[in-house]
Amino acid sequence: MSKISRRDLLQYIGAGGVGTGAGYLFAEAIKRPVEFLIPPVVPPEDYSPGVATWYNTVCNQCSAGCGISVRTREGRAKKIEGNPAHPVNQGRLCARGQAGLNALYNPDRIRAPLKRVGERGDGAFETISWDEALTQVAGRLGRLKIEDRADRVQLLTGGIRGHLGELFEQFITLLGSDRYAQYDFTYPANLRLANRLSFGIEHLPYYDIANCDFLLSFGADYLGTWLSPVHFSLGYGQLRQGREQRGRCIQIEPRMSLSGANADEWIAAVPGSEGVLALGIARILVADGTYTGSDRDAWQRALEPYSGDRVAAATGVALERVQQLAAEFGSSKASLAIGGGAAAAGTNAVASLVAVNALNHLAGNLGQPGGIIFNSAPVFGSATRHAGLTQMTELAASMQDGAIEVLLLHDTNPIYAMPDAAGFADAMAAVPTIVAMSSFMDETTAMADLILPTDTYLEAWGDDAPEPGVGLPVASISQPVVARVYDTRSVGDIVLSLARRIGFELPVALPWANTKEFIKDAWKKLYTELDPQADAADFEEFWLAALQAGVWGRVEATGGPGDAPAPSTIPDIDAAAATFAGDTAEFPFILHPYLSATLFDGRGANLPWLQELPDQMTSVVYGSWIELNPATAGELGIRDGDLIEVESPAGSIRAPAYLFPAIEPGVVAMPFGQGHTAYGRYAQNRGVNPVQLVALQSDQQSGELAWAGTRVKLRNTGERARVVRNDGISRTLGRQILHPEENHA
Amino acid sequence: MSISVSEALRPARKPALIGVVAVVGIFVGVWINDTYFSDRTPVQPIEFSHRVHASDNEIPCQYCHIYASRSPSAGVPSVAKCMGCHTAVADARERPEVLKLAGYWDRQEPIPWVKVHDVPDFVHFTHKRHVLAGVQCQECHGPVQDMDRITRIAPMTMPWCVDCHTEREVENGRDCWTCHK
Repeated sequence: MSKISRRDLLQYIGAGGVGTGAGYLFAEAIKRPVEFLIPPVVPPEDYSPGVATWYNTVCNQCSAGCGISVRTREGRAKKIEGNPAHPVNQGRLCARGQAGLNALYNPDRIRAPLKRVGERGDGAFETISWDEALTQVAGRLGRLKIEDRADRVQLLTGGIRGHLGELFEQFITLLGSDRYAQYDFTYPANLRLANRLSFGIEHLPYYDIANCDFLLSFGADYLGTWLSPVHFSLGYGQLRQGREQRGRCIQIEPRMSLSGANADEWIAAVPGSEGVLALGIARILVADGTYTGSDRDAWQRALEPYSGDRVAAATGVALERVQQLAAEFGSSKASLAIGGGAAAAGTNAVASLVAVNALNHLAGNLGQPGGIIFNSAPVFGSATRHAGLTQMTELAASMQDGAIEVLLLHDTNPIYAMPDAAGFADAMAAVPTIVAMSSFMDETTAMADLILPTDTYLEAWGDDAPEPGVGLPVASISQPVVARVYDTRSVGDIVLSLARRIGFELPVALPWANTKEFIKDAWKKLYTELDPQADAADFEEFWLAALQAGVWGRVEATGGPGDAPAPSTIPDIDAAAATFAGDTAEFPFILHPYLSATLFDGRGANLPWLQELPDQMTSVVYGSWIELNPATAGELGIRDGDLIEVESPAGSIRAPAYLFPAIEPGVVAMPFGQGHTAYGRYAQNRGVNPVQLVALQSDQQSGELAWAGTRVKLRNTGERARVVRNDGISRTLGRQILHPEENHA
Repeated sequence: MSISVSEALRPARKPALIGVVAVVGIFVGVWINDTYFSDRTPVQPIEFSHRVHASDNEIPCQYCHIYASRSPSAGVPSVAKCMGCHTAVADARERPEVLKLAGYWDRQEPIPWVKVHDVPDFVHFTHKRHVLAGVQCQECHGPVQDMDRITRIAPMTMPWCVDCHTEREVENGRDCWTCHK
């Protein structure tokens, strides 16, 4: 054994020390991070930690009015599912409904009342207290009322239904103004007008897709965005697989939508010619004796101009095909024609929809199972203050003239959802005071002088009667599923506290302490008038039962006023040709914008789950794109991903090209929804807004913006842009899967 | 000429020995950390004694951990729960640790207890099932009633769970989906 030198010993000690230190640090590093168990100061009464509580309420992401069940844990909303007891969606829910959590917990929510400090539109605000904010608004409104100038107050909201709409109505009336308008880009105003013209009933009927044998859809994307997509998707499933005889679906639209992709046949008729096609089919139904009504001769005369040749020429659909459609439509036991989408957003939209209604009448589909079943009017609160392009232009003019002193905004974004040419943004600059009641800093809210942050629908009380209804009286209460996340208030509470502060007769007429009391009182009326035979012992029990179930309905009362009202439109039946803004030679393509199944009309763009959800037809996420037929692209020398400048008579935008085989050559399509200049981090500065291409044209009868009535031209900028998409490539790489000659580059 | 392996390796002997010492050092380091600096017995914001409560005063576990039989988590008592007794227990009112508790209550602040027993987030452990199956608290948590400062006895690892499931012949006790879902 050799002696260990002092030097060696020090080396060993050093090695041992370093090793020990390393071992200590290693053990420290693999420890779990320290976590804390933080109990509440006072135990919660309405939940046990770790146990989920489900609350039923109403979805507010579109106007279908689906019932939802929200799973909460420790007072936090975790997941939204469809309410199985609700007849509209029967336990199902679409992606937009699921993404409601993103609205509730959105990092870009307005968290406290804000007052503008810089120039309007600069985005500079300071936080103020609720008391100060409400005092300011109430003071301004009260002064106008004293001076008898309250008619200079304009209330502009989104498509609010239910008793909340009635509260707004009462508030503005009591204030002494009649200026209340609802601007909702997706409101089916053309369809309602067409139904009034055809049937004398304006509220929407029940389209019984589930029981129909032959569904003919003129542009209505009933699986994606039309009226009540979850309910119609259920109906479609029933039509396809739920019964012995499988129904057939035909989709007529220039660009294949989700419904087109799921149809048996997709027919690309000339855009705007849907009404002509419907009347062409109608003429055959009358001529071949399918229609046997006493006024058959009158119909025959009225439909005379829609001869086969003319229809084939106008629609681009072969004569034999029109005849086949007519034969099948007439001979099916239960046939149904529906119209929507771009076909209901042209300059001839109402005429086209009346033609579709006539088709249903002639085939005997009214009041029949599998046809159009008339609903009784919604139990309460139908949206009646809808403003179309005409009214909004008038409003803009009034604002320009200085006739509006205070503009109260809630849940509507006309600056984004109206073409710039309508001048709404400029007109807002002329309004002395703009107050926005809003959850998010969207383009319109950003222009406000005072912002009162509102609860999202998952934090507020409300109610809704779905429209279209489901054939029986149905209504739902909307209840908060979690406590407020930020220092916000429900819009009903804001209106009620404004009423208290303004004084005069307002607090007497609107005596409720909060929205819950107001809604409860309204339901008391419903209980005594509509459902006196309810199983409940008293109102309190009835109310709790309705809250718990998430839906109230009366099963025995089916059918509506008169099962099949006689269409009174024979003399004026005329599918006027659609007119398109823009010279055909200069603007060779028709722009076909469509509602996005995820971002909808743009209101979903601030929800990250919807941004990252691929579009069903193209698989694109996050951005904007422009769809054009590969043949069209070939002629113009455009490759997939080239940055294209799209120019219309109204404006121009740039977006990458997406070569899409399922679109008619001569048509270019773009989804709505992107191109926000505000609206939070997920929406802002992403993609482009096709509304800015839309020329200011309206339907001849309804005055609604004809957003499908614009021509455009394309210019290849020569730049490339990245389209984020999941589908890889659309070619089959010589494997001849689709059809043998398919080999386009 | 003789060839000696040990002779050949002689120059490498010292570095090897240093390496061995270092490796032993690593184990010593880990042991020191585990023994004297372990996270099994963390210092809590209040020096709360389970021995005093569960043993000396014979308070049943579920008097405070009220959710154990109906929720995945047993639940830590709220500050109000603690104060419920401590306003009444007069002779303990002036003790420094109880004063700390009163301080939290006065400030209406929750007490940030350090978590001692934990399973990873991918394990769906639920107290409810175990309590309803008659498993005693002590079988996993050790003799809590004898501890002044709460300490982790069991490793709370998967083999440890599965051993017990096997021993007790738990129905589907070895199925992945029983715990990982």
